[in-house]
Amino acid sequence: MKPYRISAVILRHAYEVRRNANHITYMVYWPVVNIAVWGFFTLYLRHGDHLRPGVISCLLGAVILWGLFNAFQRDMAVGFLEELWSRNLVSLFASPLTISEYVTGLIIVTVAKAMIGLIVESLIAWLFYHYDIFPMLPKLIPFILNLALFALTIGIAVTGLIFRYTTKFQAMAWSFAGILMPLSCVFYPLSSLPSFLRPLAATLPTTHAFEGMREAIERGGFSASHFKSGFELNVMYFILAVGFFRWMFEAARSRGLLVKME
Amino acid sequence: MVGARLNANLLVPDAFLAYCVAMLVTIERLTKIFGRFTAVDDVSFAVHPGEIAGLVGPNGAGKTTIIHIMLGLISPNAGTIRLFGKSLEADREQILQRLNFTTPYMAFPVRLTVLENLRVFAKIYKVHDPVAKITELLEQFGIGHLKNKPVSRLSSGETTRVGLCKAFLNDPELLLLDEPTAYLDLQAALQVREVLLELQRTCGTTILYTSHNMLEVQRMCNRIIFLNRGKVIASGTPIEVTRKILKEDRDAPALDEVFIRVAGRQPHEAVSY
Repeated sequence: MKPYRISAVILRHAYEVRRNANHITYMVYWPVVNIAVWGFFTLYLRHGDHLRPGVISCLLGAVILWGLFNAFQRDMAVGFLEELWSRNLVSLFASPLTISEYVTGLIIVTVAKAMIGLIVESLIAWLFYHYDIFPMLPKLIPFILNLALFALTIGIAVTGLIFRYTTKFQAMAWSFAGILMPLSCVFYPLSSLPSFLRPLAATLPTTHAFEGMREAIERGGFSASHFKSGFELNVMYFILAVGFFRWMFEAARSRGLLVKME
Repeated sequence: MVGARLNANLLVPDAFLAYCVAMLVTIERLTKIFGRFTAVDDVSFAVHPGEIAGLVGPNGAGKTTIIHIMLGLISPNAGTIRLFGKSLEADREQILQRLNFTTPYMAFPVRLTVLENLRVFAKIYKVHDPVAKITELLEQFGIGHLKNKPVSRLSSGETTRVGLCKAFLNDPELLLLDEPTAYLDLQAALQVREVLLELQRTCGTTILYTSHNMLEVQRMCNRIIFLNRGKVIASGTPIEVTRKILKEDRDAPALDEVFIRVAGRQPHEAVSY
């Protein structure tokens, strides 16, 4: 991998962010709307004064982290869709740029964009709802990394599907995270799911990340077991996603789809 | 041997490798099948360093598919491609660093300006002093004034010329041009041909050129490879191909006539020349 070619991918997306207002919507507008709505909801709940301590904090923490997860997986796939919509793929892949360099560049851009959303959401939560996520960050960072890795894994798999099946699968770029949400135990603990769904939920790194987040926010502890389980699952899914992506890419090359994508 | 069908059986491996190194492009028994359609059928040809070779034929002849295979965008079912004496599968990055291509059918991100688009490609190709190089190329192709315009505001002819600037960014040793003048008016096409010939003369760039404009091919190409229904049906200088396909002793090339003769033939009338 050549760093200057990775930086070319980053430059291409940096120009796109500067020129395309949709990116500002994705990076800032939706995170602000999200945290505003949930923030008002938590203010309403506070008036009732009968909630267990930590519930409101968990709720806001979950909103922020789910937003981050959603942004990661969406921006990764949308970043690739932008090449497809602009019919730029042929020029890119007929150059010395390798697929690993392209994906690495896209991951860096995605991380940077998602971090802007995270910072904006956290600042709003801190300023308007007196919810300060920053002191908890050291304990949350391992779970944030697990969420980010799983989101990128999904982004890679969805991008592979788009390579093979073109824009027929583009809706997945925005919606895939939503499919996982009910089983990821974002706003409720794993124990509140029906017992037959728990084993399935436990196969998702997101479930372990949100369980770990609740442990950190409610009790101030660090759940090494949830971090380890989430990380092991992530490694397995990441390897599978990379293999799946390569398979889809080669299938697209074999069928001549790279030059016909629209 | 050059331009004629290669026969690997006639050459011992070392001699074949030496031949591939001497040729800039060696394509050997290339086949590509999409479902039940054979787009490229057992095609072999070679291209000399410094020549302008035309890959011509009617629609569906397999020209663009061959170029896409040469760029690694489509994987072949059979056959080998050696560029600069190297295998495309094994040395993709080194090979693509030394060549470039353009087609009017590709596009650029439309919100980015011409300069921004070309800067991205200059970075990919690690161009030294990219802004100076881009400015020089834009001037050469007569679009210096469009440097800071978003691509969305360009005409198709202007976008084609931006594509040509992209193609020359890395001073390629081999240039693959797929119908480079398709969207250009007569004057712009003439200007582009002159620039291409000038760059070829000064830099010694080898060019593989596809076009439906037979007059243009006659003017530009030292040698042509005529394809029909995925097969090479004749190759040689324009006059040689004219004589072979028309089966007449002509004094001057008549590729238009050749094209009409080949394109008008029904599938069951396919003849090997």
